[in-house]
Amino acid sequence: MTGRARSRSRGRARGQDTIAPGASAAAAAPDPLRHVMPPSEGQLVGRGRQKTAPPPATMEAVAQISAGFQQVKIGERGGRRRDFHDSEVFTRQQMEHVKDSKSGSSGSPIDLRANFVRLMSRPEWVLYQYHVDFNPNMESRRLRMALVHQQEETLGPSRSFDGSILFLPHRLPNTETVLCAETRQGEKVQIKITLTNELLPSSPVTLQFYNIIFRRILRILNMQQIGRHHYNPDDPLNIPQHRLTIWPGFQTNILQYESSIMLCMDVSHKVLRNETVLDFMMGLRRQCGDHNFAEACAKELVGLIVLTKYNNKTYRIDDIAWDHTPNNTFKRGDTEISFRQYYKTQYNLDIVDGNQVLLISRVKKRGPAGAPPPGPALLIPEFCFLTGLTDKMRNDFNIMKDLSTHTRLTPDQRESRLNSFVGKIQKSSQAQNELTPWGLSFEDKLLSLKGRVLPAERIVQGSRTFEYAPWAADWSKEMRGVPLISCMPMDNWLMLFTRRNADVAQSLLQTLNRVAGPMGMRMARATMIEYEDRQDSLLRALQQNVAPGTQMVVVVLASNRKDKYDCVKKQLCVECPTPSQCVVARTLSRPQALMTVATKIALQMNCKMGGELWSVDIPLKQLMVVGIDCYHDTLAGKRSIGALVASLNQSMSRWFSKCVLQNRGQEIIDSLKEALHAALKAWYKHNGCLPSRIIVYRDGVGDGMLQTVVNYELAQIMESIKALGQDYAPKLTVVVVKKRICSRFFARMDGKLANPPPGTVIDTDVTRPEWYDFFIVSQAVRMGSVSPTHYNVVYDSSGLKPDHMQRLTYKLCHLYYNWQGVVRVPAPCQYAHKLAFLVGQSIHREPNHNLDDFLYYL
Amino acid sequence: MCPLFSPPLFMQRYQFVVDFVQKHEPKKVLDLGCAECSLLRKLKFHGNGVELLVGLDKDSSVMRTRMHSFAPLSSDYLQPRSGPLTIELYQGSVTQPDPSTHCFDLVTCIELIEHLHLEEVERFTEVLFGFMAPSNVIVSTPNADYNPLLPGLVGFRHHDHKFEWSRKEFQLWALRLCDLFGYIVSFTGVGSPADSHTNVGFCSQIAVFNRDPSRQDSALQCRSREEPTVYRLLYSVVYPSLSDNNILQRTLVNEVLCRAELIKRSWLSGEWVAKTAPEPFMQGSSVCVSLLDVWACPRVRSLCGTLRRFTEALMGELRVELTPARQAIIMPADEEEEEEVEEDEDAEAAGTKWTATTATEDWDAEMPHNSNSNLPDFHDA
Repeated sequence: MTGRARSRSRGRARGQDTIAPGASAAAAAPDPLRHVMPPSEGQLVGRGRQKTAPPPATMEAVAQISAGFQQVKIGERGGRRRDFHDSEVFTRQQMEHVKDSKSGSSGSPIDLRANFVRLMSRPEWVLYQYHVDFNPNMESRRLRMALVHQQEETLGPSRSFDGSILFLPHRLPNTETVLCAETRQGEKVQIKITLTNELLPSSPVTLQFYNIIFRRILRILNMQQIGRHHYNPDDPLNIPQHRLTIWPGFQTNILQYESSIMLCMDVSHKVLRNETVLDFMMGLRRQCGDHNFAEACAKELVGLIVLTKYNNKTYRIDDIAWDHTPNNTFKRGDTEISFRQYYKTQYNLDIVDGNQVLLISRVKKRGPAGAPPPGPALLIPEFCFLTGLTDKMRNDFNIMKDLSTHTRLTPDQRESRLNSFVGKIQKSSQAQNELTPWGLSFEDKLLSLKGRVLPAERIVQGSRTFEYAPWAADWSKEMRGVPLISCMPMDNWLMLFTRRNADVAQSLLQTLNRVAGPMGMRMARATMIEYEDRQDSLLRALQQNVAPGTQMVVVVLASNRKDKYDCVKKQLCVECPTPSQCVVARTLSRPQALMTVATKIALQMNCKMGGELWSVDIPLKQLMVVGIDCYHDTLAGKRSIGALVASLNQSMSRWFSKCVLQNRGQEIIDSLKEALHAALKAWYKHNGCLPSRIIVYRDGVGDGMLQTVVNYELAQIMESIKALGQDYAPKLTVVVVKKRICSRFFARMDGKLANPPPGTVIDTDVTRPEWYDFFIVSQAVRMGSVSPTHYNVVYDSSGLKPDHMQRLTYKLCHLYYNWQGVVRVPAPCQYAHKLAFLVGQSIHREPNHNLDDFLYYL
Repeated sequence: MCPLFSPPLFMQRYQFVVDFVQKHEPKKVLDLGCAECSLLRKLKFHGNGVELLVGLDKDSSVMRTRMHSFAPLSSDYLQPRSGPLTIELYQGSVTQPDPSTHCFDLVTCIELIEHLHLEEVERFTEVLFGFMAPSNVIVSTPNADYNPLLPGLVGFRHHDHKFEWSRKEFQLWALRLCDLFGYIVSFTGVGSPADSHTNVGFCSQIAVFNRDPSRQDSALQCRSREEPTVYRLLYSVVYPSLSDNNILQRTLVNEVLCRAELIKRSWLSGEWVAKTAPEPFMQGSSVCVSLLDVWACPRVRSLCGTLRRFTEALMGELRVELTPARQAIIMPADEEEEEEVEEDEDAEAAGTKWTATTATEDWDAEMPHNSNSNLPDFHDA
C-alpha cells in the first residue's frame, strides 16, 4: 500500500468547528428545524456536533439514556467520528469453542514486554455522568461551557463538559441540581444538572472519557496533534537537504484489553516540510516547465495532507482550483469577502502572491445536522505546509535512507522512548493534576507478559526436507542445490534487451543456465531480442515476438522507469497473456551479486509459469485458504482494486487468483463474491471435489471498518458459498489480518532488549476480550523493531483449536514464493497484495483469465 | 436583543485596542479582566510587534478552559516568527499590586471598572496608575448617558455592574487621577447613536491615558518586572522565534544546507549558470559549494544580516562541514542504491532452543466431531 492510501483518513479536519473559508455559508447557521434528539451517551464523542442544546430532559428521556446504553455506537453518529478502535464489535461470543479460552499451547514460553501501561483506578471507582440543560436554550457551545465553568463552587475543580454532558468524579448531593447563572449580556440562565448514569471503569463511555483526559495531558506536555497522533515540536530532527523536518511523537489509545484497561502507545514520526505548497509549486514549475505544470502539480499534490498557518487543522488536497486566486470572493455571513481580505482581517496574514491558484479540499465533515454539508474548502498555497512524503520522495533512495536513520529505532531505543514518555507523565505535576482528582493513575512501567515461540517449520521440497535457522527465518542458503518441487521446462522463451545492455543480458542468460540445473529447471536457449530504449519500440518487440506458445518473456530494462515496466505488464497480462519477468539492468551490473540475483529470478520465473518451489506440512485435508487484499488508487478517481487469491492444492503450492476493479462507493466484496465462486470452481477442477474447509484471510481492512466486514462481507462470503448448492456447507473461518497496528513487543535476550524471534505468538493480556484474536511475529528484521501482525478471527465454524489456528497461520507465512523466508502475513494475503498492487499501479485493467492459475503477478 | 451595532459593540472595543496597538506598537501588553481571553487572542494575531501578552482575571475557571488555545500552532514551529512572543495568564485581583505587572507599555481595562465597587475603584486606580504605572492605559466603561437609547433597559446593563458612569463622572475620575499620577488623558468611545444629532456620546466610553513625559517620576522608571508574589501563574507559553539563538541557528543551518544542496544538484546536472559567485568544485567524491553562492540566497541574507555574521555562524557549526580554507561547504555525494549484499557469515545463534517439528500431524483427526465424509459433489452450473 502506498503512503497516499494510508494517509487518507489522516486528512480529516479536526478541532474547533469554525467554518472553513470558502465553505458554503448556509452550513454555518444552525438549522432551527433540526429535530432535537433525546440526549444519549454517545453524544460525548462528537464534541463539536451538538450545537444546539437539547431541551430539558424528561424522565422518559433519562430512562432512555440508561437503557440505550449498550446500543450507542459511535460510528452511527453520521459517520462523523469513526471508531478507529473497532470496539464493540462483539464477535467472540458467537464462537462457542473460544468462549472460555482463545489461547494456544504450542511452542516454548518467552518473557516479553509490550508497549502498554495499565490505567489504575481505585476500587469501586465510578464516574458520574450528568446531563446539563439550559433554560432558556443556549445556542453557543462555548457559552454553555462558560456558564458551567462559572459553577466551580458547586461542581468542584475537576470536571469534563462537552456542552451537554458533564462528568464529575464525585456525586452531587442531589440527583437534580438547579443553578442560576448569567451571561455577559446579563441574560439570566437556569442550569439544570441531572444525574443520568454512574459509569463503571470499563464502560465504553468511560473509555472515551479516559481518552479525553489523556488528550488534555498530551496538550499539557506541549504535544501537537496532527491527525490522530501527537508530536513533540520542541525537538525536531531536520534533513535540510530535502527540506524535511521530523517530529518525534506518539500514537496512543486507551482501551479495554484482555486483562485490564491499558494505555497503548507507540513511537510515531511525523514528516513535515519546511516549505509551503506555494514554494513547492514554484519549484515544480521551474523543473517541468509551464505546459506540463498543471499535470505535474495534480500528480504530485493531490492526496497530500497540508497543515495551515492559521489553525491547527490538516486538510487533504483533493484538487486544484485553477480558476481561483486569492482575489476571488466567498460568502461569509451575508457579505462577499475576498480570500485576501478574509485572511487579513481574521488572522492579520498578508498574501504575497496574488496570482497563486487555490487548493481544494473536500472537507468530509458534515455541517450542523439537517443543514447541507459545507462545500469544499479552498486553501491558499502560501499558507499551507506540506506534510508527509510524495511518492517521488518515497522512491528516492537517498531521502529514504536519511529518513530511516532518524526514524528506525532498535527495540532498545524504542523502549527507552516509551519509558521516558511514561516518566514524563508521572513527573509532570500538571499532568498528574488532571488524573488524581479523578482517582486515576498510570502504572509506571511497561507491561510484562508471556508469549510463546512456535517451533520452526520443516521446509519440504519434493522428497527432501530441511530446517532453517529459526532466528533468521530465511532458507535461501538451505535451498541451494535442493531440487524444487516441480519445474516447468523452458523450451520457448524470450529475452529482450537494449543494445547498451547486451552484455548484461548475455551474462544473465549464462548465469540463469548455471543456477537452473541444480534446481531441476530445464532451460533451453532463449531467443534474444534487441529493442530500442523507447516504449513504442519495446511494445513492438513484444507484439512481434510473443506468440501463444511463448512460455516466458524476460525483459532487461535500461532503467527503473515505471512506464516501460507498465507497458510490458499491460501487454503480457491483458493483451497477450504470458508470464513475464522484468529486471533492471543495474541489478545485474555487479558480477559478484549475479548468482544471487539469477537464482531469485529463476525461482520467480518458475513459479510464474506454474512450477512449485517448496511447501510445509499442512495437517488439514480438503482445505482451501483464501487471501483478500485491496489497493486504493487515489489518483485514478479513487478506484479500488480488490484481489482474491485461493489455494488449489494440499501443499498450498498452486494458487488461483482474481482481481476486480470497482469505482468509488462500491463495496469491494460485491465483486469478490464472484471471485470466490470462481475460486471454488477452480478448486473443484483441481481436486475433483469441493473443499470441506475454507479459511479466508482478509487483509486491507482499515481502522473502523471491522463492523462492515462482520456485518456485510461475512454474509456475502457465505452467500457465495451457498450458491454452489444447498447441501454444500463447508467449515468456514474468516480472519481479519492487520499489519498497521500500534502494539509492539520486546524480548529480553542475553541481558538486552531484542525483537521477539520469528514465530512468537501473543494471545493474552493485550488482546481484546470481545474478539478471538492473537498476534504473531512471523518475520525477522535486520534493523529496527519488528512489527507484529494482528489476526482477528471474526467467524469460525471450523472448531479448529486456537493453537491450530495460530500454527496454521504461521505455516502459511512460510509459503510466499517471492521470498525464501517467513513473511509478515499469510502467503495468500501477500499474493493478493502483490496482485492488487500490480493491477492498481501498472495494468489498471482486469488481467486475462488464462493467467488465473498462475502466480504471474510476482 | 437585536443587534444595535454592527459589528457588535464588544468587537468594536477590541478593534479599538487593536488599532491602538498597531499604531503605537507597544511591546508589552497587559489585559486586566481578560475573562475568556478574546482580546488577547485578537492581539496574538494582530499585535504586530507585541512581545509579551499578559492576561489577568480573578476567575481562573474561565481562563482555564480556553488557555490551551494559546499554544503555538504546528506552523509556528515550522516557520518561527521573527520577534519573540510570550503569553502568560495570571489569576489575581486588580486591586492588589503585584511586581509582575511592572513595565508594561499598555494596560487595557475593557469593561472592567464598572464591576468593582466604588471603594475598589479607588484601590484599583492606585494600583494601576501608581504601582503598575504603564506607559499607556485604555479604560472602557458603559456610558450612562447613552442608556435611555437602549430599548427596554431598566437599571444597569448587567446585573453585576456596581455603577454606570455618565460621561461627566468618568471624566472627573480620569482627570483627577491624571493629576495625581502624572498622566494625560483623551476621551473617545465606540458605538455612536444611530441618530447622530442626539448628544449622548458613545455607547461605550473610552479613556486613553499616556504617562506625562514632563512629569517623569524617576522612582517609577527603574522598577523592573519581577516574578509574581500575589498573582498565580496559570499558563505561560514562549513562542518559537528567531530571537532564540538556538532556533535561529537551526533555521539558518537548514536554509544553508538546503540552498547548498540545490546548488550542488544544479551544478551536477550541468544547469548551473556561472554567476559572480565561484563555481562549485569536486573534492574526492564530495561537491564543495562556495559560501558566497549560498550567501546569495535572500532567505539566508535575511537571517544573518551581514556576510560576516553568516560566516561566523557557520564556523563552529557541526552540522555544516566547511573546507579547510572555510570558503566552501562540503556536500557529500549521493549514494547509489545498492542491492543488499548477501551476508555470508554463518553465525549460529547461541543456544537456540527452537527445533523444527518432526512428527507429522493431522489436525482433522484431533477434532472432536470429524465429519469429512458426505460432502456433496459439485455440479458445474
